[in-house]
Amino acid sequence: MLSFWIFLSSGLFLGWSLGANDGSNIFGTAVGTRMVKFRTAAIISSLFVILGAVTAGGGTTDTLNELGSVNAPAGAFMVGLAAALSVYWMNKSKISVSTSQAIVGAIVGWNLYSGRPTDLGTLSTIVGTWIFCPILSGFLAILIYQATRFVIRRTAIPLLKLDHYTRIGLIIAGAFGAYALGANNIANVMGIFTASNPLHGLNFSGGFSLSSTQVLFLLGALAIAAGIFTYSGQIMQTVGRNIFMMSPLAAWVVVVAQSMVLFLFASAGLNNFLLAHHLPALPLVPVSSSQAVIGAVIGIGLLKGGHGINWNIIRRIFIGWITTPIIAAALCFVSLFFLENVFNLTVYN
Amino acid sequence: MMHLKFPVVSRTRALENKIDSFHDKMIEAAAVFRKSIQIFLCAESRSEYKAVNRQIKVIEHEADKLRRDIENDLYSENLLPNLQADILQLVEGLDKINNQFDDVIYKFYIEQPEIPQKFHRKLIDLCHQVADCAENMAIASRAFFKDLSTVRDYSHKVYIMEQESDATYNDLKKAIFASDMELANKLQLDLLITEVADIADIAEDCADELLIFTLKRDI
Repeated sequence: MLSFWIFLSSGLFLGWSLGANDGSNIFGTAVGTRMVKFRTAAIISSLFVILGAVTAGGGTTDTLNELGSVNAPAGAFMVGLAAALSVYWMNKSKISVSTSQAIVGAIVGWNLYSGRPTDLGTLSTIVGTWIFCPILSGFLAILIYQATRFVIRRTAIPLLKLDHYTRIGLIIAGAFGAYALGANNIANVMGIFTASNPLHGLNFSGGFSLSSTQVLFLLGALAIAAGIFTYSGQIMQTVGRNIFMMSPLAAWVVVVAQSMVLFLFASAGLNNFLLAHHLPALPLVPVSSSQAVIGAVIGIGLLKGGHGINWNIIRRIFIGWITTPIIAAALCFVSLFFLENVFNLTVYN
Repeated sequence: MMHLKFPVVSRTRALENKIDSFHDKMIEAAAVFRKSIQIFLCAESRSEYKAVNRQIKVIEHEADKLRRDIENDLYSENLLPNLQADILQLVEGLDKINNQFDDVIYKFYIEQPEIPQKFHRKLIDLCHQVADCAENMAIASRAFFKDLSTVRDYSHKVYIMEQESDATYNDLKKAIFASDMELANKLQLDLLITEVADIADIAEDCADELLIFTLKRDI
């Protein structure tokens, strides 16, 4: 059991860095433009990340497990660590990076090392979703932006009331965003540990209970919350300064678009509903909240004529799509070799 | 029925009221200025003009207090964080118009210039035009806080009134220097009407800024 906690540390580390980076995407604009206090933002996002992860994190986890079910704790540790280190290095190189891409690369690395086949259908679905995610986010941002502008122009809401409503809107959108982030991204942090999870479920009075997987997700979500509390504040200030020209209402549009995208790719309930009504359902895939934000910002930028869009950022996203999974896979493959042959640990069963 | 009070809502409402009162003061100042010139030109109304001078000082003082309160509330309550600097600039600009009303009335009161009858009509027209200009500026500014769609209409009125006042000012200036008054009187009168015309110029600058702030307010 002790060894499991040691192995779990890489996932918790990954969760912490996800909280610091992606947590700032949710409330960054609100805090950076001083519409919401950091303390309020941190408390709300932590609570809702936990709620999303525990109640709705299963869908994207199943998809990652279809790609590769890492069945040994030491192997899961290395998959998590390889992903975390790739994210760290790519961040250092200022390339837009996502934990989703890193973890998928690392799982493929584990598949290659353990000789398991990689389901190419699942892999292509995941990669296709990464490309689709910022595009969808951009479209949604354009729609929400236009609708919001229409409503505001029609209703002539007084400036101070609008400011008040925007604050409330930012908090609600942030809570929804945090919930969607928890639901969508918990798979990146804890999904690899589900196959080797020795934890027991918890039963509370009043008939409320958590399965062993939900307990695992709770731990991951707490690590994300720790990342939000300890490190996202600085990033939020930077986000706010970088896009200070964006009005708080436009910031709200970005958060709603990003949250909707994360939710669409995470909600098993919505997925089942669409399938039951013979409608095309979106795959449940962990996506990057940073790239969803960038997609939304570019969408609004294009709507305003496309001036001032930093196309260099888009180039970096493309580089990230290719390099992050490759680096994570290579790092995982090499590290598994050392773990197995130098430390004599079982990395797959 | 139970009434719930939310601190943020009540603070917002208090600031809304102060902004409204500030604009009211400006419209009041314009009205006082409009009647002041007629009182001044009426030889038997010296004591009444003294009262007008006191009245404009009170309005200016109250507007100053409101301006400071508005600025203080905006920053201390962190309301409209992205527009604080713009609102500050707008309110300061409007306050300059109030100060100019006060200055001009005071100068007429202190200097007691001799104004020949033939210039009375033009001078009254000029004062009315600048007062209208300032009044429309106050309405445009109020619209910025309440109904953005009408800001452009009122700003346009400010521009029209400023152009009219410019034309009246030029005619009056030409007439003053073409007259047979003493040069000292001509210069004194010229300085005074320039100060009057400046009111419309300040209002026009405010309208220019306001239109930019309006564009920035769009989401």
